[in-house]
Amino acid sequence: MGSYEQPSAGGGASSNGSSSSSGTRPAEMDGLLAGAGYKVKAAELHQVARRIERLENVMVNSAADISHLASDTVHYDPADIGSWVDTLLTELNQTVSLPCDLLELPDLPTCPLLDETTTLDNRWVVGQNDQSHHSLTPQQQQFQQLTVVTSMEENSGIRLVHMLMTCADSLQRGELALAGSLIEDMQGLLAHVNTSCGIGKVAGYFIDALSRRIFAAGTIGTGSSSSYCTGSPSEDEVLYHHYYEACPYLKFAHFTANQAILEAFNGHDCVHVIDFNLMHGLQWPALIQALALRPGGPPLLRLTGIGPPSPDGRDTLREIGLKLAELARSVNVRFAFRGVAASRLEDVKPWMLQVSPKEAVAVNSIMQLHRLLGSDPTREPAIQSVLTWIRSLNPKIMTVVEQEANHNQPRFLDRFTEALYYYSTMFDSLEACSLQPDKALAEIYIQKEICNVVCCEGSARLERHEPLAKWRDRLTEAGFRALHLGSNAFKQASMLLTLFSVEGYCVEENEGCLTLGWHSRPLIAASAWQAAPEYEVA
Amino acid sequence: MVHHHESSEEAEKDPQEPSKRPKFSINDDVDILREILKRLDGPSLGVASCVCRLWCSLTRNDDSLWEHLCFRHVSSPPPPSVRPVVVALGGYKRLYMVCVRPVLSRLGDSDRVRKRVWTRHAVQLSLSLFCIDSYERRLSGDASASSLMFLCNPINV
Repeated sequence: MGSYEQPSAGGGASSNGSSSSSGTRPAEMDGLLAGAGYKVKAAELHQVARRIERLENVMVNSAADISHLASDTVHYDPADIGSWVDTLLTELNQTVSLPCDLLELPDLPTCPLLDETTTLDNRWVVGQNDQSHHSLTPQQQQFQQLTVVTSMEENSGIRLVHMLMTCADSLQRGELALAGSLIEDMQGLLAHVNTSCGIGKVAGYFIDALSRRIFAAGTIGTGSSSSYCTGSPSEDEVLYHHYYEACPYLKFAHFTANQAILEAFNGHDCVHVIDFNLMHGLQWPALIQALALRPGGPPLLRLTGIGPPSPDGRDTLREIGLKLAELARSVNVRFAFRGVAASRLEDVKPWMLQVSPKEAVAVNSIMQLHRLLGSDPTREPAIQSVLTWIRSLNPKIMTVVEQEANHNQPRFLDRFTEALYYYSTMFDSLEACSLQPDKALAEIYIQKEICNVVCCEGSARLERHEPLAKWRDRLTEAGFRALHLGSNAFKQASMLLTLFSVEGYCVEENEGCLTLGWHSRPLIAASAWQAAPEYEVA
Repeated sequence: MVHHHESSEEAEKDPQEPSKRPKFSINDDVDILREILKRLDGPSLGVASCVCRLWCSLTRNDDSLWEHLCFRHVSSPPPPSVRPVVVALGGYKRLYMVCVRPVLSRLGDSDRVRKRVWTRHAVQLSLSLFCIDSYERRLSGDASASSLMFLCNPINV
């Protein structure tokens, strides 16, 4: 071995805060390995040994050519030999293929990590053709220390992602024991990573979801593991409200849908809006106000709000209806409200809505249709019957807003990968909007979604998001024709985003539909539909 | 010194006869005062409300002052149906403080809007946001509306 700077046991002189890797308690380093320049905690020896064993197995049995390891491996921190072996393992273990853009994790924060890394003194590069370690001049080390700070965090972040993928893969293959041990490893690694932002936070939620799935393995599809995913209706409403405040997705959905509905109602004096998920009715004040101010005066507005029944005897739907009626009365809009309580959308029958043939009907579905995609093999999918009765109402317009993600693929691993990417992007965007009390609760709202996508199966898995292209096919087959959303909606959405004054959101137009995304990744898509005339249906 | 003594003597002589005093006090004619205040911009109106009790009560209670302020940048004046709606949803002063002022400043900051001219879209968007604000106050019993928090820091209206 070449000469190298011996790291002192408590951390080098240049790494002031880096006394130990875990912050408060002193790490007990294995003395023998420390003499060779490797810092391994005595408690972790068995894990490192296990990993080296696995590495040996893979190297011996691997059919791939591994001679490149000898020539161009870049080793970032030999003191942390456990993680180095891990990296090698995942590189050699080619069973899991990541989409390449997953590695470019968005917006990793450059948090100062001097107090979280073991040591920055040693920065080794394995040179061309030798297996020993070269030393670097002090100046080179100094320079590289500056660049190594962020790459250490990125390194841990990337390792977490790799381990998440490996865990999901082993879950898919039914190797629960391996998955469980990976969960433990990941939770250990989480302690080394900043979990208040960036990849650490998202990874934390996914590790939590995976562990729920693993350790409640006998109850998937039944009550217990899914009980976390769906709270009581009033809890869900509160979380939804905070999600509405904290980020622009729901506002974008509401404003875009309202604009389309307003344009469709032009010239009609009796209009009826059917809302598939009333919640607190936050979408409707703006429509009521726009109708009040429309040239020619407001129409008679009927609103039918669908929502879950309230468990404690209160009639939440009616209360919201009353508040909306008060608002409508104050701006002189004739208004009537009806609430339809149903725990599942497929339980609603068209006669409950009491649609009159003289009125113009608008159907509004904000992130509801995907819940109908659960495939019970014994029956016709619920989505078909619901779309059929919607079409039978002959609505002037149906506004559909859905998450722009592919979380309904048959293979668990595919869903998991997609969800990891999607929710990382969403959490990033949430970080940029910093309304403190709302943000925390909005995160819980998103966390519940994540839990449902990852933990649940069968009828309990409600969050079956599908991308816009699939919805287009599905709706066209069901006898609907797309309506273009128009430039007014686009301008309004752009202006709304400007008001948010957060750089990074982008509104895009996609063949008449609008999508809102973060840094060119669309996250939510809004579209408008109309019943196609009979002769157009093939 | 002598001059000062003279004028205060004069004032002491005729305190109850404003018509004899050569000076004209703006506070004597509230309508003229109102017309002038209508033409001020936001910060100036705020400063004006601190001048004296009369000015303060005018700016606080006379909503029409704020109506001018809200729509001064609009290229064409809003239709008359707007007024009852705004009044029902909370009044022009609140509209200005909670919606118009932050929206104007945000749009003015962005690169896409060179001049501070309101378009029809901006007006409509402001009114919609104002309506949501009014509704949320009804829902939560007049606590501070959170839907517009993304526009500005909490302020005392």
